[in-house]
Amino acid sequence: MIDRSIFALPGVRRVLAALAASSTARALLVAGQALALASAVVGLWEGGALADQAARVAVFLACFVGRQLLASVQEAHLERYASERADELRRRLLLRVFEGGAGVVQARGTGNVATLVVEGIDQVETYIRLILPKAVGVVAVPLVLLLWIFPLDWVSGVIALAMFPFIVLYMVILGHTAQDEAAKQHATFQALSNTFVDALRGIDTLKLFGRGRSFGASIYEASERFREATMKTLRVATLSSSVLDLFATGALAAVAIMLGFRLVDGALPFFPALAVLIMVPEYFKPVREFAADYHASLDGKNALRSVLEIVEEEPAADDAALRGAAALPLWSERATFEARGVGFSYADHRVLDDVRFSVRGNARVGIVGASGAGKSTLVGLVAGFSRPEAGLFVLGGVEVGDLHRSDWQRQIAYIPQNPYIFHATLRDNVAFYCPDASEADVERAVAAMGLDALVAELPQGLDTLVGEGARALSGGQAQRVALARAFLDGERRVLLFDEPTAHLDIETELELKERMLPLMRGRLVFFATHRLHWMVDMDTVLVVEDGRVVEAGDPAELAGAGGAYARLALQMGGEAA
Amino acid sequence: MRTAEFARTWRQDRWVRPFFKRYRKTLAFALLLGAATFAFAAGLMVTSGYLISAAAAVPESVLALNLPLIFVRIFGIGKPVLHYFERLASHDWVLRMTSGLRLALYRAMEKDAVVFRTARRTGDALGLLSEDIGHLQNLYLRTVFPSVVALLVWFALLAIAGFLSLALLAALFLTLGAVVVLAPLVSVIACGARRMRIKACRNELYAELTDNVLGVSDWVFSQRCGAYLERYRASEAAMKELVRAEQRFSRRRDVALQVLFGATAVVVLMWAAGRFGGQGTDAANWIAAFVLGFFPLIDAFAPLSSAAVDAFSFSDSVQRLNALPEVDDHAEKPPVPSGPFDVRIEGAAYRYPGSDKMVLDGLDLFVPQGQKVAVLGRSGAGKSTLAALVRGDAAPVCGSVTLAGVPTVRFGEAMPSYVGVIQQRTYLFNMTLRENLRIGRADASDDDIRTALASVGLSGLLSRLPEGLDTMVDEAGLRFSGGERHRVALARVLLQDAPVVILDEPTVGLDPVTERDLLETLFEVLEGRTVIMITHHLQGVSAMDRVVFLEEGRVALDGSPAELARASERYRTLLAFDRGAAAPAP
Repeated sequence: MIDRSIFALPGVRRVLAALAASSTARALLVAGQALALASAVVGLWEGGALADQAARVAVFLACFVGRQLLASVQEAHLERYASERADELRRRLLLRVFEGGAGVVQARGTGNVATLVVEGIDQVETYIRLILPKAVGVVAVPLVLLLWIFPLDWVSGVIALAMFPFIVLYMVILGHTAQDEAAKQHATFQALSNTFVDALRGIDTLKLFGRGRSFGASIYEASERFREATMKTLRVATLSSSVLDLFATGALAAVAIMLGFRLVDGALPFFPALAVLIMVPEYFKPVREFAADYHASLDGKNALRSVLEIVEEEPAADDAALRGAAALPLWSERATFEARGVGFSYADHRVLDDVRFSVRGNARVGIVGASGAGKSTLVGLVAGFSRPEAGLFVLGGVEVGDLHRSDWQRQIAYIPQNPYIFHATLRDNVAFYCPDASEADVERAVAAMGLDALVAELPQGLDTLVGEGARALSGGQAQRVALARAFLDGERRVLLFDEPTAHLDIETELELKERMLPLMRGRLVFFATHRLHWMVDMDTVLVVEDGRVVEAGDPAELAGAGGAYARLALQMGGEAA
Repeated sequence: MRTAEFARTWRQDRWVRPFFKRYRKTLAFALLLGAATFAFAAGLMVTSGYLISAAAAVPESVLALNLPLIFVRIFGIGKPVLHYFERLASHDWVLRMTSGLRLALYRAMEKDAVVFRTARRTGDALGLLSEDIGHLQNLYLRTVFPSVVALLVWFALLAIAGFLSLALLAALFLTLGAVVVLAPLVSVIACGARRMRIKACRNELYAELTDNVLGVSDWVFSQRCGAYLERYRASEAAMKELVRAEQRFSRRRDVALQVLFGATAVVVLMWAAGRFGGQGTDAANWIAAFVLGFFPLIDAFAPLSSAAVDAFSFSDSVQRLNALPEVDDHAEKPPVPSGPFDVRIEGAAYRYPGSDKMVLDGLDLFVPQGQKVAVLGRSGAGKSTLAALVRGDAAPVCGSVTLAGVPTVRFGEAMPSYVGVIQQRTYLFNMTLRENLRIGRADASDDDIRTALASVGLSGLLSRLPEGLDTMVDEAGLRFSGGERHRVALARVLLQDAPVVILDEPTVGLDPVTERDLLETLFEVLEGRTVIMITHHLQGVSAMDRVVFLEEGRVALDGSPAELARASERYRTLLAFDRGAAAPAP
């Protein structure tokens, strides 16, 4: 229930000390409240007038309210502390995500990362806020109350004390089994809701086959089956928390009965007996509350673990500056780029193996091959999304290893199959790399990439919101925006294309090609595609087969050479060949 | 005003209140158990207080203590037992209700599922709806149950007080009324709107963050991450301020509530002193009983106010669900057309609801049974709308679309017997391969299924599967490749055995080699049926009988591939572009 890492948070010692003090004070107020109330009731019981008890009642009320005031102050402090820690964690997490780039996100999925930043950190905050006072309270409050109960009536003290190890022991057992139980429960629940989402996602398929109605019945049945299974596990799981409850109320009943017998025997006066009876429920309260929040704290604990896992990963920020190397010069006609035996695997699958090639100056390099041959992975390595597991890259004769470095990435424009369009104005999207670009420059980029027709059609022109949740752009328009970004930033001299036109209709592709070709001039271009007509405009073609570059050279020469490229052209050309 | 919006949501609600009526008995039982649990907790303290008072009076015979002793035991053991059954009963009710909610959600979505979806609902939005049902569960368990139980306890308390004394009744009505009615009301007025604002802020933050995480590689290339982080922190600060205000409010409210509880305890004490004090010790035993009995009830009343505010956290879930269309079970008797199954479109026009733009505008097209037509055009030219009209998912705003002379919308649920569809993305359910294929025809035998798989070239795959037709699709690392998925979809359509088959860009995302193989299989097995193939490039088009180009909602070019290649300059250009460099250089 408590994660050790919570005790490593900065400033946690001071908070724990303050909590110990305030919990002790709160327990003292509880005792005061019990004593005052007991003495007032005893006074009345003995036949005293109500007016005579005014002072005692006032003390009771003061203690009763004072307790809450104290709790309120403590809560305010904890809220501040938890919020500070949450801010700190969120800042570090975001820094990792945005500096680690696609790698961190890819490994976990976009949805997971965003959920972790927004909801996960909130859960951590709640966890810190709840678990610290409960953890301290569960020790301090019973301890202080026990110190009062013993002098009042040692028998009750013994009962309360004897019950405590049982409860703790039981909670440990409960913690273990409940954790397993909860995990199992969660897994079945997840399976059911996955099935349900599965049916919803495929609902148009069901409808197409006229199976929509009948499937609804089977969903209901599955859900009912799940209910029965859940009830079965709940019967056991709930039993354990009820046993805990039984310990506490049972102990209270035992104390009451023992008090009754000893009062009859005359072994004990009324006042201490009543005071003890009022204190005993308070004695068990923190333990019961601690157990009750089990699930809430489980979420927070898991979130904390996931956050720390990312935050404490080895930092990827091995920038040129950090490495002490000289910054890369801007790509130029004289620059050289070389891959020397580069290899990469996903899981255990070797995707790229011993890739070697070199280019010089503003060359246009086509990368072709069948699906799964490793084209995208190669482009990803050049973009610096991932690092080669074997081999290295050489830039201008300097061995740089991987390409995850700001002085290289600053020169890149990366254009994938579906370029990402931010939820922002069209202008901000176009000027993404150069937010300070002048109006005239933006307009020139828009015109050069053929976006002017779109701008004319939009209600607020360049200031129209586009992207997810706003005006959606078609695939071709998104490509144009990505191209305009590259066009606008003259310093981006390296263009990386990854299947930029695979999903576009042929006429759109034809139009885009007319815009792309001029942009490629004077730049280093890597162009991965399986649409071979692009190769006519490339200076060099790399043919990738099963993770290796099996052929490289001038496309026209290769086409006639009868090698891998010619074979590929024949296969892909199909009816055309 | 958000509170008004909230009130409207509740008035028009179809997702929360109707479900109270179902399983009324279980619900009443669970609520009663909940109230009884508190009654037992109070009972334990009442009898304990009475017991020790009576014992302190040193009765002549211990027998006088027998009754309170028995009750202490009953309440002491009964309370956890009741609590146990209460939890079981309430969970059982909530889960029953969830089954009902799932079915209702499914049917609402089913009604709304327009084929060739207009990109309105992505998978994530569906997941969200499914989570909303989870939120409704929490609404019941965290807000509705505790609130109703607290009210029940209050009423019971008032009834007892009214029986004992009117003064006590008035006092409890006022003090606890402030806790049970006034405090939640004030909390809702003070915090409800803010809670919804916090939720809205959080959603916005979430959307913005997701947007930027999706574009993270662009941020890395732009080298402007610092600027973004600054922006994120600024928008977050606004939300944090709201959260802090809420926390401040609830801290103060909790102190106020505690004052009220303290005051109630004092009221009970004063009343008990007046009623039982100073008239001999037997009656005085009740003083401790009443005073002590009140304290366990605080646990019933204390969470009410925050539970009331929590209801606002769920309001957007309730809103989202209520925004779904209502389901009517009214179904027309489907027509029974006789062949030939010609598709005839005359002067058809269509615009999406809420838009002025005509997607189709005066489209004429006649497809006799057995013809194979490729439909080309840019995105937005109306290709998918054409398919939706042919399938009868929508009716044209003017003109007519008929199949075998019957307007296609009239087919309704019977349409799958006449028109089959292979979509861009084949959806395979997380079920066995057999079940996935039986979606095509529910009563298909294993032999039928094997034959269908064989004709789409998947016999090899089937023999490689560890458990044959019983293999779960998409599980345990078994993933079908894009080409294989399409073949499964094709097998499904073959089982369905409809005379007309629509192919909606069936090869998007496949590499050219896979694409070519798939198209060959498609044409082979669909021989003899009408095929309408929507496509965005020219692969496979030469095998069709006819090519139609759509432009701005009408037919711009129409003819056999050979005719077009001869007569249309535009078609020739595209053909040359498509094949250009693919053919070995001259």
